[in-house]
Order: sequence, then C-alpha cells, then structure tokens
Amino acid sequence: MANLSLRDATKTFDDDGDEIIAVDELNLEIEDGEFLVLVGPSGCGKSTTLRMVAGLETPTSGSINIGDEPIHHQTPQERDIAMVFQSYALYPHMTVYENMAFGLEESSDLSDEETEEQVNTAAEMLGITDLLGRKPGELSGGQQQRVALGRAIVRDPKVFLLDEPLANLDAKLRAEMRTELQQLQEDLGTTTIYVTHDQTEAMTMSDRIAILDGGMLQQVGTPMECYHEPANLFVAGFIGEPSMNFFDVTRADDVLVGDGFEYPLSEEMSASIDGTTELVLGIRPENVGIVERSSGPTVFPGVVDVIEPHGNENAVHLRFAESSTDETFTSTVDGMRHLTGGQQVGVSFPEDAVYLFDTATGDALRHRVVEDIEEVQEIGTR
Amino acid sequence: MSKPTRSRAESIARILPALDYTKIGLSLVIVFFFAFFISPIWTGFVTALKTTGAVTGTTPFIPPGPDGFTLEKWSVAFDYLSTGIVNSLVMSVPSTIASVFLGSIAAYGLTLVDWNERLQFSILVLFLVGIFIPYQAVLVPLSDFWINIVGVDDLIAPVAALPYFTARHSRLFAVTATHVVYAIPICMLLFRGYYMSLSDELIEAAKIDGASITTIYRRIVLPLSKPMIGVVFIYQFTMIWNEFLFSLTLIGSSSSPAATVTLVLSGLGSDLSGVDFGLRMAGAFVAALPTLIIYVLFAEQFAEGLASDN
Repeated sequence: MANLSLRDATKTFDDDGDEIIAVDELNLEIEDGEFLVLVGPSGCGKSTTLRMVAGLETPTSGSINIGDEPIHHQTPQERDIAMVFQSYALYPHMTVYENMAFGLEESSDLSDEETEEQVNTAAEMLGITDLLGRKPGELSGGQQQRVALGRAIVRDPKVFLLDEPLANLDAKLRAEMRTELQQLQEDLGTTTIYVTHDQTEAMTMSDRIAILDGGMLQQVGTPMECYHEPANLFVAGFIGEPSMNFFDVTRADDVLVGDGFEYPLSEEMSASIDGTTELVLGIRPENVGIVERSSGPTVFPGVVDVIEPHGNENAVHLRFAESSTDETFTSTVDGMRHLTGGQQVGVSFPEDAVYLFDTATGDALRHRVVEDIEEVQEIGTR
Repeated sequence: MSKPTRSRAESIARILPALDYTKIGLSLVIVFFFAFFISPIWTGFVTALKTTGAVTGTTPFIPPGPDGFTLEKWSVAFDYLSTGIVNSLVMSVPSTIASVFLGSIAAYGLTLVDWNERLQFSILVLFLVGIFIPYQAVLVPLSDFWINIVGVDDLIAPVAALPYFTARHSRLFAVTATHVVYAIPICMLLFRGYYMSLSDELIEAAKIDGASITTIYRRIVLPLSKPMIGVVFIYQFTMIWNEFLFSLTLIGSSSSPAATVTLVLSGLGSDLSGVDFGLRMAGAFVAALPTLIIYVLFAEQFAEGLASDN
C-alpha cells in the first residue's frame, strides 16, 4: 500500500564548480509498515536521502516512488509524508494544539471538530494532553520532542521521516524514547525511515538497517545480519559497540602473519579467501577470550594494558606480547573477573568467531560461523 | 598577638575603596557626553518657555524667571502646526505601514522562498543599489514624473471632494507614494537579516505540513516577525516624519494646505520683524511629539527586536 522505493536516487551538489556527490545511485525498497533505519557517519548522505524523500531536495537523477506512484517531481506539500526534525522545528508562536492542528488545517479539509478530535487522540497517545495549551518555549526538551512526534502522527501520513529525533535528549530519556517510538510505530503500522548516526539506535529499533558511507549503500539487512554477517570492513567496524578489532595480516601458505601473532588457516578458511594474500582479520571484542598462557594454535601471548569497568562487563585493552607497536585491541569480559594492568595473559581467537576481509576491496571473504542463524534471526525479528 | 596601632588617616584610607583611575576617567567621559548631547535639547526646551524679552535678556540655558515664563509659544506653535501634523500623519502612517509590509514580503521572497538563486541575488543587488541613490539626484526627475508624466493633480482630484482634503493634497499623495518606494529597500534589508536567522527547518516543517508559500508567510513568518516589525516601524516612521526634501520639492510652499509638519516648521517664527526663537523651539518640540509617542508605544518591541537581531 505505502511501500517506498528509491531507484538509482542520486544527489549531487555544486560547490564552486566542483561536483560533490552526496548520494550515489541509491536503491532501497521499504516495505509497507516497515521501520527502516538509515545509519552512517556524518556526511554519509543519510540526511540528504531523507530530504529527497521529503521533497526538500530534488534528486539529480533516479526516482522515488510511493507504491507505484512516482513522487520525486512533487513538492513537499503534495506528498503525503510527515517529518520530525532534529531541532523539532516547532512553531514558537503557536500553542502545542495549534502546532499539531496546523498540518491538518493545511493538508486536509477536515472540519474544526474533526481536527480537534484527531489532535486530542494523538495527544492522548503521546501523553501530552495537559500540554496542549502551552507554547513550545515553555516545554522541556523531552516534551518538545513528543510534540514534534505528535505533529507528525496526527496527520496519519503514508510515510514517517525521522531525522535524528532523539539526538538532543539526554541518555536516559533517549533510551526511554527509543522503546516508546518503536512501540508507537508498531501500533500505527506506518512505513518509517529513521535517520541516525548512532548504531545503538539502529540496532535496537529497526526492522532493517541500511548502512551508508560516502553516499553509497554498504548493506541493507536485519540488525542481526548486519552484526553477524557484515558485507564489508566498514559495516563490520560501524555496527557493534565496542567496535570490532581489526588486524592487518598477510597470508603465508597456511598461516596468516600479523604483527605479533600468526594465525593458522583451516581448510575452510583457505577456501573462502581463495588466492587473496593481503587480508584484514576481524574479531568482535566479546569473542576475544582471555585465558591462561598455554599452548594452543589460536592462543597468543598478550599483555593487559588498561581496564575499563562497565559494571556487568569490563572492556579490557590488550597488546600482543610480541608486537612491535603499542597498538591495542579490545576484549569484553565478565565484570567480576579480576585483571590488572601489565598482567601476562593468553589471548584466544576462536576460529568460529574470526572474520576475514580483503584489504584491497574491503569486502568480507569469511564471516564468523553462527551455528543457528535461523534461531538468532527469530530472536532478532520482532 | 597584639594588633599594630594605626594612625587616623590610615584607618580612613582603609575604609575608602581604592581609587580606580579608569573608573574615574570613564565617569568623566560619560558626564561630558551626557552634557554634550543633553545641552542643546535642554537649551531648546527652556528657550521655548521664555517670553521674547527673556530669550534675548537671559543666558540661553538658564531657565526663565517667574516674569519671563510663558506657555504662549507652545499654543501658538501648536495652532500653526496642527494642519501640518495632520498632513504628516496622513502621509506617514500609510506609507510606513505599506513600506514595512512590502519590505517584509520582499525579504521573505529573497531569503526563505526557494527559487533561482542567481536571480535572487541579482534582485538583491538592485535593492541595495536603491538604498544608495542620493535624494538630491532624483529631485528633478521626481517632480517631473509626478506632475508631468503621471499628472498627479488630475489623477487624485476626486479626493478634494472628501472632508478636510483640498486639491493640493494630490501632492501629499505623491509624497506618500514616493516614501513607500524609497523605503522598501532599507526595510527589505532589515527584514532580510532577521529572516536569515530564522531556522530553515521551521519553513521546511511548514512545507511538509502542506502549507503553501503564501500560507507560510501569513501563518509562520509574519507572526514571527513581530519584534522586527516594531524596529522597522519606528525607524521608518521617524525617517518619513522628519523628511523634508521630498515635501519641499513636491508640495513646495509652507503655506500650502497640504504642507507637512517639517515644511510648516521651516517657516515658523521667522518674519520681517526677526526670528522668534521661543516659538521656533516650541514648534520643534511639538513637531517631534508623534515620534516620541511612537517610541514609547513600541519601546518594548524595539528592544526585543534589536536583541533578537544580534
């Protein structure tokens, strides 16, 4: 009904004769009722993409459709969409009620009674009924955020666009609003695009994540897919907190030679890397085991550098004992485990947890082995 | 431990704050400038309260004694200037409102509405050029335009049928229209600065809410312009009220029934018997009264507008 699709959507900006490509041939299909999160570092083109869907930017080429109807030539006024801005953009001279009613008055021909009813319903949904008579300036950040949401949902649009709506809230409120927004979207069943630079928001809220970098789509998939089966180095490093450890390695026969360690290649691994010799080995911090210094093909001598306690877990920064540089990597271990700086330990990289990437292209050659990916996905999908 | 004994002078010196030469210097400068700016106004004011004899007999800035005091000059000045004041109001109020409104619309179109940026810039340049056209350079073409090309006297003749108005008031209309045209560029510039500081997202939100360009202006931009409207209104009213050259060129004589207050004031208190300084001073104060009233009425918005503009 209201599935949204972008086909080869491209946006270039002219900067004194230089052409800057903000979004490069982006192809995205967003199903009806889906919650898609566009995530990426600042300047990756995610906001530009959202603004193209909103009609605030015109695509240089390519098309944007809602259902079968192309909308990229329409003005924002003609598109049935609602948007929440990072700054909320509430009309400062209007009361909360007037703010929420404005869109209905301008975009529909509802009677005053119907408008009032819709505003009241939306206000009730968000618990802002008692704020309706106030001006935005008299509200706290969290309340303003709710009003901005209310202004969007009251119009019951085909598509919601949210541009970093939680960025201006404090950490605790942000976590609360994450759950609430997710719940709200599920109840309304409206197709939603949510833009953020925060991978935690992307992981926790979305049905699917689209990761952008440098104007190009890196990967689209469920949060679990993106986490466990990243398409390339960028996605692997961007998704996950603390982020994945990377080591430059060179293949020498059946070992990968890194700085301070030599990783033995299994048959399955050699098959996946084919003839590539320059590789990046990746492993997530939670898979880096800290064990006794003992013999074992995938256990290497390491030294504890710094420990960051987080309560339930500790982030341990380690160095390879035989490394020629001071570069550290991270392991997360149980919070109750006692370690001290300078301690000599063994670092275990289980074969199942190792990712391999092609240094030249950044593409993933081998993912970690997830035995029961089906079951994992089951948990990951709401 | 016993305290050291102090001399009396030392004790006093301890109580007094240390002499800060910068502060003293600053206070002196402030006092000087205060006196510098207030003395002409003060002198004018006391002169307006003196009889003709007292004006010549006493030092200008000394207030009049009981026998030299009179309010007569004020009532004479008011009688003289009353038609001028009405004419000036008839001219200033509509032209101020029109120029503020048009300036604001022009600024809106040049800042917050999306269209050809090059063209927008070219039009902005035209507006800026408009600000710098000297009055003197246009005086002759201006009167030629209104009187010979437009034929304003015939065009506006029907107003003479209205109460109060005479045939000469056609010239007052010409002055009013001229002021509107002359004021639009500067009003546009003042509003432009203000609109540039408005958040783009506000306008974008309104667009997405389905509002058209005119609705955005009427329901979002105009209500938010209130502080700036206050500033521009005061500024523009004062400029137009005090303007002399256009009135002189188009209306001509201070005795014309359409003469504005500045024009009447120029002829006040000087005749063959000499200059009546008391009357001139009183006239000046009477003529300045409306601008003072406007300042008081809009003071709050004026301050708010200046604060938000910075």
